[in-house]
Amino acid sequence: MLMAAASAGTGKLAAVWRVWAPLAVLGALCLLISVFSPNFLTVSNLLRLLNSASIPMILSVGATFVILLGSIDLSLEGIVSVSAVVVSMLVANDVTGVAIGLWAVPLAVFLGSLMGLINGVLHVWLRTPSFMTTLGVGFAGVGVATAVLQGVTVRISDQNFRAISLGRILDVPMAVWIAAVTIGIAWVIQERLRLGRWVIALGTDELTARHVGIPVERTRIIVFALAGAFYGLGGVLSAAQFGQGNALIGQGRLFTTITAVVVGGTALSGGSGSVLNTVAGVLIVVVLANGMVLMGVPPFVQQGVQGVLIITAVAMSLDRSRLDVVK
Amino acid sequence: MTKNNQPATDGVSRRLLIKGAMGVAGAAAFGMPFIKRSSAAETTWTLANSLRSVANPYHATFAKGGENFAKSIGAKYEVLITEGNSEKGISDIKALLQRTGGKLIVNVDPNDSPDARVIVEECKKAGAYVVTQWNKPADLHPWDFNPNYVAHMSFDGVPNAKKIAEVLFKGMGGAGGVVALGGILSNVPAIERKAGLDMAIKDSGGKVELLDFQPADWDEKKAFDITQAWITRFGDKVKGVFAANDGMGMGALEALRQNNLAGKVPVVGLDGIAEAVKAIEAGEFAGTVAWDPLWTGGMGLAIPYAVATGKLDIAKEGKEHREFYGTGIIVTKDSVADFKNNPSKIDFNDLFGKATGQIQYRG
Repeated sequence: MLMAAASAGTGKLAAVWRVWAPLAVLGALCLLISVFSPNFLTVSNLLRLLNSASIPMILSVGATFVILLGSIDLSLEGIVSVSAVVVSMLVANDVTGVAIGLWAVPLAVFLGSLMGLINGVLHVWLRTPSFMTTLGVGFAGVGVATAVLQGVTVRISDQNFRAISLGRILDVPMAVWIAAVTIGIAWVIQERLRLGRWVIALGTDELTARHVGIPVERTRIIVFALAGAFYGLGGVLSAAQFGQGNALIGQGRLFTTITAVVVGGTALSGGSGSVLNTVAGVLIVVVLANGMVLMGVPPFVQQGVQGVLIITAVAMSLDRSRLDVVK
Repeated sequence: MTKNNQPATDGVSRRLLIKGAMGVAGAAAFGMPFIKRSSAAETTWTLANSLRSVANPYHATFAKGGENFAKSIGAKYEVLITEGNSEKGISDIKALLQRTGGKLIVNVDPNDSPDARVIVEECKKAGAYVVTQWNKPADLHPWDFNPNYVAHMSFDGVPNAKKIAEVLFKGMGGAGGVVALGGILSNVPAIERKAGLDMAIKDSGGKVELLDFQPADWDEKKAFDITQAWITRFGDKVKGVFAANDGMGMGALEALRQNNLAGKVPVVGLDGIAEAVKAIEAGEFAGTVAWDPLWTGGMGLAIPYAVATGKLDIAKEGKEHREFYGTGIIVTKDSVADFKNNPSKIDFNDLFGKATGQIQYRG
């Protein structure tokens, strides 16, 4: 009985817990790992941690907007792929003779948002569920990237471009600064722009939102395009980090991204959550992975632990009082 | 036509039209390669190299070697890519055997050892000629499949890996912790190179410690991720990185670069790819072993071609020409200039000139 009440979250205490749960989990994790491994709380390790969190952060923050709508975006691996491949072929490299330097970055981000736009348009006009639309666009993206490269790997030689990932300001890696700015932009969109309010409204109750006069279709399309732009930036950073353009560079990112968003406390059903929740979620996932490596946990066990993490995190932070039906 | 029939017939005819159009489009898509093929000029024999992926620089050069030989005799040449998938590798070869009616000469680097047996048996059935590289089961021999299974080529991983590991230890100052990246665990070269590394570590008399060994499956990205994790876990204790091939070595190098360690922690690999040679010049790689994939890619077709055209009777050749090693060249900072200025000359008429001895099976 008590358990049911607690998980249904009818008490005020439960509501407060739900808001702070992600941060509490993060704090507890950090404490636990530092007990087992004194190397965890060193500056160099924390910087390395933030560096590996940068790309997942950018991807997850983009996905948050889509998930707040109540939709899901499975195309991020494909968009990251296409963006990384295109940017690697546009800066100085060993396959194409093109070298337009850092202008390739906004181009690749724009390409990402274009693919996101296709997601949104297909989803809205054809009225296909976002699950299927984005899955299709994602596969098509990876396919296009593979076809363009024909199995070849493009090696980037433009050092200015590599500096996006390898450079340091105040001894903090460039990627971390870029991720921080991206979080800032996403927070501004969510809190200060109408778009942010509309996204929450649509995720909470689309019918009511429509009656109130919110432009539902336009908002959906814009959100998918926005997410695409974030993924495009993620792809650019991936190419800079790895020094290569490769059709499979996005592989494995989808699971980590969705995990991070959900662990952070954003409901997959939409309407509840925020960019800051996702930031906490990404940090939890990355800290856990970092901690497991420090403790020497074998890679296959790490995957199992991540799975348990999702289930625990969702169970703790989901507001089940508002869910009549759990599908 | 009754009222009930009419909508049904209309629907069927529209649907039928769409289905028909899709069918034609599908057939056209499948038929295109065939159409192109029949209009190109071709000799009796088709040549093909089968390899894992052209994203791997060693295999990209291997494919080029085959292309060079095919051009020299004006034959049709195909590159079959397995993408690390054994089933795909085997079915691609079977499909090509069908398409060419058995008039195929294939130079295959099998994704994994068991694949070699299936491929050899399929080629023998079809009357095609096959050479295998690197991976095959120990009990599969070319002389049991005369004349179709022409030869097996490889390079002895054990002494070469031992030598290059010693180059690494020297670059580390003779002592310290080493991390090692392995190839696909069941691949023959992966087993041989690990054995060579282990021997070198034993010979160091405890001065060099193996901190960890992880298979990265010959894949650059996997090597990158694993090395990042190692730097997190071992930090300054990592004094050198041993990679069973240059591709993985490049991935490890990028991970070192992310942590400002490129050039400070030496890396060694095997294969002798162009990027590794550049890295040796830049002081980021301590050394590599060059196998000359242009030679294996080309000779692996030249030898069976000589058999197919009757110039060579393979059944009369000794076992040292049926299963043989090539020579690996150790490239380090001292020898890299020499290596680059003397590119290997490949004479397609000198079939066994670079063979250095029969393959040994170590228990």
